[in-house]
Amino acid sequence: MNQATLTEHTTLAAEGQTTTLALVGHPNVGKSVLFHRLTGTYVNVSNYPGTTVEVARAAARFNRGQSLLDTPGVLALPSRSDDERATVRALLHEDLRLIIQVGDAKNLRRTLNLTALLAELGVPMAMALNMTDEASARGVSVDAPALAEALGVPVIATVATGGEGIAPLTDALAHARLPAPLLRYDPEIESVIGRVSDIISTRAPHPRLAARGLAILLLGRDAEVEAWLAGHPEGSALLAEIASLAPAVGRDSLPARLARERGRAAEALARTVSQQAAGKDRTLSLLVGQLAVHRLWGWPMLLSVLYAVYLFVGVFGASTLVGLLEEDFFGGILNPAVSALVRSHVGIGWLADLLVGEYGLWTMGMTYALALILPIVTTFFIAFGLLEDSGYFTRLSVIANRMFAAIGLNGRAVLPMVLGLGCVTMATLTTRILHTPRERLITIFLMALAIPCSAQLGVVLGLLSGISFGATLIWAGAMVLVLLAAGWLAGRLVKGRRVPLVTELPPMRMPVLGNVLKKTGGRLKWYLIEVIPLFLLGTLIMFVLDRTGALPWIIEAGKPLVTGWLGLPPEASAAFVMGFLRRDFGATGLFALSHQLSMVQAVVGMVTITLFVPCIASVMMIVKEQGVRTTALMLALIMPTAFFVGGVLNHALRLFF
Amino acid sequence: MSPTPSERIRLTGTPIGRKVRVADFGSEIDPLQVEQLHAYGMSPPHLIRVTQQQPMTVVLCDHMELALEHEVARHVWVEEA
Repeated sequence: MNQATLTEHTTLAAEGQTTTLALVGHPNVGKSVLFHRLTGTYVNVSNYPGTTVEVARAAARFNRGQSLLDTPGVLALPSRSDDERATVRALLHEDLRLIIQVGDAKNLRRTLNLTALLAELGVPMAMALNMTDEASARGVSVDAPALAEALGVPVIATVATGGEGIAPLTDALAHARLPAPLLRYDPEIESVIGRVSDIISTRAPHPRLAARGLAILLLGRDAEVEAWLAGHPEGSALLAEIASLAPAVGRDSLPARLARERGRAAEALARTVSQQAAGKDRTLSLLVGQLAVHRLWGWPMLLSVLYAVYLFVGVFGASTLVGLLEEDFFGGILNPAVSALVRSHVGIGWLADLLVGEYGLWTMGMTYALALILPIVTTFFIAFGLLEDSGYFTRLSVIANRMFAAIGLNGRAVLPMVLGLGCVTMATLTTRILHTPRERLITIFLMALAIPCSAQLGVVLGLLSGISFGATLIWAGAMVLVLLAAGWLAGRLVKGRRVPLVTELPPMRMPVLGNVLKKTGGRLKWYLIEVIPLFLLGTLIMFVLDRTGALPWIIEAGKPLVTGWLGLPPEASAAFVMGFLRRDFGATGLFALSHQLSMVQAVVGMVTITLFVPCIASVMMIVKEQGVRTTALMLALIMPTAFFVGGVLNHALRLFF
Repeated sequence: MSPTPSERIRLTGTPIGRKVRVADFGSEIDPLQVEQLHAYGMSPPHLIRVTQQQPMTVVLCDHMELALEHEVARHVWVEEA
């Protein structure tokens, strides 16, 4: 295997066996775009680190017998965060025949830093030196042939977003070779690496990966490699033996010293094969990026962005488009026609009511999903896609870091929370980019409590923007306050210390409309698949509750809480029942009551329903990430908090309005 | 060896726009974050340019912008390029 090339893989493919290739690289270097180019399979692509947190797999376009993996970006190996561990798991457990390292041409030194470790794994490699357009714009030129010569593997310059270099890359895969090692570590460390390698190769050999690479990862305390070795019959004894071999290396930890030596080797090679033209290191992208995190200009920029989103989603989407669709088209044309058709053809009264009555599957379920929510989420997903592709979201972590410090987190938690505004379920998965279990727990709790998803946010903006901008501001202020107060408490109750923020700021880029529309289409498809069945189920439950007389009873029973404490009309109880299924379904129920609501009632209703239980899909995801007990505890805290905050707000607002 | 203020200064004390060379990391920085800084390429004796100090320290390391909270940046020692 050690001198294997792709010829062997081609033979395997010809014999009908699937061979596996993996794209590996730093976060945000274009792995997912390249994956799309090489497989035709679209996975979400965005301009921030952590878009991919799980391994994606698809058949390669250039050879259907080959399976290509898109792995989560690794800042460095050994792995530290959950998404990095997912990549190491793929390296350990997949039958990998080739690694395609995707590198950033403008940051060659950093790219080679990772190469220095990948090169030790004993797997043939090729390198896609991506983003060469951005490198050229910054005056960076890389001598790819010289780099290929030094590494002993094909190096192909690519611009994955524009499809440049893709054909040469697929051609070059046939010439992939085992790379030449980039460095020899310090003699003392080399001797330990040698001894650990001997232990692995003689007592726990890996079927594909080289013992030396595994030894370096083990000495670097890679949790996944440790877990792999622990699964071996002699695992515990081997780990203890290896731990006893680790040398005392002075002030730096051994992993840090290994990383430093790789860094030096990468720097030396990068210096010989790349050049920086003088005076081209300041670009417009850099200036805009700096403005976005400026201590003074960053805030007006943030407020302008938020206001633009409000105008596009809250005013254009939730008022103009919803008005056209819900009132004019569904209310004026479609629903009367569907109702007349159903009632003339369905003789059974209750069945006709089930389809087109007050709680009818069409008149309520489908109308809510298509006429009320769809235009709102469409505008939201477009705005969201533009912002995420611009690179602005990561910059929010700098602006918000101080605020997040107050709640025991760092600015990195902004990213899942902002993504939660799109979909809390998917954002819960994105918390894997956070570095400690404590950060993940607090962030997931805060998202479940106080981060509205796109559909809910759209309904909130739609209802409140119809009342006044002030009402929207009161709702937003209340949510921020709840977020900070709950975070402050959680930060004190959850054990562990806060990790200060060190983060990369990806370059600001002009969003590509095609990618934004593709993502919007994908999200809408997912939204409709998830939401329509739930909306129909919710409507069916409401219909049954209404028919059996349970709904009037619930409304009556809920009066002290809903009417007395929250100050809402009794019918709002029905919205909270709907909210158990999805918060946005409940919010839509309140939206439908909007003509009956005063400004205070609208704000209180929306604050309460925003804080209400997360949707079923989110709950399932929280169970997956945090376990049943933690999820149950979260839910037990969230619902009383929603009603408590709603009531306090109701009484406070009534002092002024 | 403790840093000598006349030779080395803290990253947080570096004027905006100045190009400096990374000299050392203080032991106060979490070892995992030291690894993280190495992974970003911010290893001694590499050149970086300070572009901002508030609300966080932002440096340009090659063509990558890195934001460091002051709690970390104040323990990064730099010297004149």
